[in-house]
Amino acid sequence: MDFNEPMLLLSFWIGQISDLGLDLLWRFIHIIVSLCHTVFGIFEAIQSYAISLGLIRKYSSIDIDKLRCLAVVVDIEVARDVSKIVELLQWLTTIGVKQVGLFDSQGLLKKSKDMILEMVPGSMLLQETGEKETSPDRNGIAIEFISSSDNKEAVVKAANILLEKYLKSSHLENDEGENVFTESHLNEALRVVGENVHVPDLMLVYGPVRSHLGFPAWRLRYTEIVHMGSLEYMRYGSLLKAIHKFTGVRQNYGKGLMMIVQAQMVIESRASEITFCLFGL
Amino acid sequence: MNPPREEVGEFTKLLNGFMTLMRRFIFKVLCVGPIPNHISFIMDGNRRFAKKHNLQGLDAGHRAGFVSVTYVLQYCQEIGVPYVTLYAFGLDNFKREPQEVKCMMDLMLEKIELTIDQAISGNVKNVKVIFAGDLNLLNDRLKAAAQRLMEVTEENKGLVVVVIVAYSTSHEIVQAIKESCVRKCEGGDSPQVLKVSDVEECMYTSIVPDPALVIRTGGIDRLSNFMTWQTSRSLLHTTAALWPELGLWHLVWAILKFQRMQDYLQKKQKVD
Repeated sequence: MDFNEPMLLLSFWIGQISDLGLDLLWRFIHIIVSLCHTVFGIFEAIQSYAISLGLIRKYSSIDIDKLRCLAVVVDIEVARDVSKIVELLQWLTTIGVKQVGLFDSQGLLKKSKDMILEMVPGSMLLQETGEKETSPDRNGIAIEFISSSDNKEAVVKAANILLEKYLKSSHLENDEGENVFTESHLNEALRVVGENVHVPDLMLVYGPVRSHLGFPAWRLRYTEIVHMGSLEYMRYGSLLKAIHKFTGVRQNYGKGLMMIVQAQMVIESRASEITFCLFGL
Repeated sequence: MNPPREEVGEFTKLLNGFMTLMRRFIFKVLCVGPIPNHISFIMDGNRRFAKKHNLQGLDAGHRAGFVSVTYVLQYCQEIGVPYVTLYAFGLDNFKREPQEVKCMMDLMLEKIELTIDQAISGNVKNVKVIFAGDLNLLNDRLKAAAQRLMEVTEENKGLVVVVIVAYSTSHEIVQAIKESCVRKCEGGDSPQVLKVSDVEECMYTSIVPDPALVIRTGGIDRLSNFMTWQTSRSLLHTTAALWPELGLWHLVWAILKFQRMQDYLQKKQKVD
């Protein structure tokens, strides 16, 4: 009996020490991961400034016609800072983007839409331009304001329209009730409740995390999603790079700053290998 | 002079044993932090893998992909992830060449039947397999095999593996609306008004919680009509590795990224 107590105490302390050891190792690994992200961030920032200054020629020309509809998702905390949104929209106008959907989950940007439209020269609300392709003479940017209410709730509103149709048609003798449940019927019902059903080609996410944060699911099907980092630290060069990559323009560019681009690409592609080599695995 | 086969075999066993111990240690460290409750995998890149390695046969890349599936599921089970979703076959994939579609269906059938045999002989005790999607679009034999595998593993506890076949978010939403409308009418409630919960409980993926982490292989930045409804608060992670190349380090890296962002994602959920 006397022998068991010290053994129990010993195993308890061994357990505590090993838990502490694991905890410390976990924190150490996360420090390494954070360092890696910092290094990537530095390379990204250098490349971005080089692009902004026009030093990397391949980004100087963008075939913007390939980008018909752009979506920008911003984090709710950041959405309160309208000046950053305005600056971003001005950049997009400069690049030549014609249509942008601005999304934040809580609808703060919707509430500030008048102010935003006033502060961005040549901008207009998307509904005013209609859903079809606008004329080439229009130089401004058409802005759509989207929030979470345009996601699940909007689909359910549209679903209730289909339910009404189903109820009406189910009183008929033939089986017409089944035919209201198609993607095109849902598209039509969404338009009736005032929703835009166009699928963005590209989505830029400004926030800490690569997540669409509740952007309308019905419209998100084949959209390229690119994480741009925090809006607070947004860079023109990174924006150009993301749009250029999407439009897939290929040009011969000078070798001057190739080393920076290549170094970043190598480090990005070997990220996990570097991390685990550092702690000797 | 070559070492005898027995020595090589012994050495391989020792090495494998050592690698297993190292892997379990890495997972033990990883589990100090939060583990995603549900990981979804968009398994992209099988055909590119086959082309890259000059593999012959229409299903060569997909066979290599299946090997990756077994490893990934093993790792997830060892880490303690409760739910794993595998996007095996989308509705858009039916648009591929008929021969390729047939190959993929035959391969799926082969692997399901193999898993059924293993489940019956007790080798799949801690895995529950569920098929989600429009199973009516599959051929009868494959559909029956999928149903059988679900029955055989229904009582299993442990890792829940959801295999998504014949699926797209747009199709899922439309079918969920249809189902919820039919239920509403049959229920005779008044007024007959649908709510978000009515539609969500009719979705193919209503059996599992929303994914916390979505991992897409193949370097593509799209969700490709996969669970866009359910991924509002998911971390979307893309890796350039093709699906058959996905290994331990890719999974660990993705989970580490998830752990870094966990506080932010939880705050988002609370705001919701």
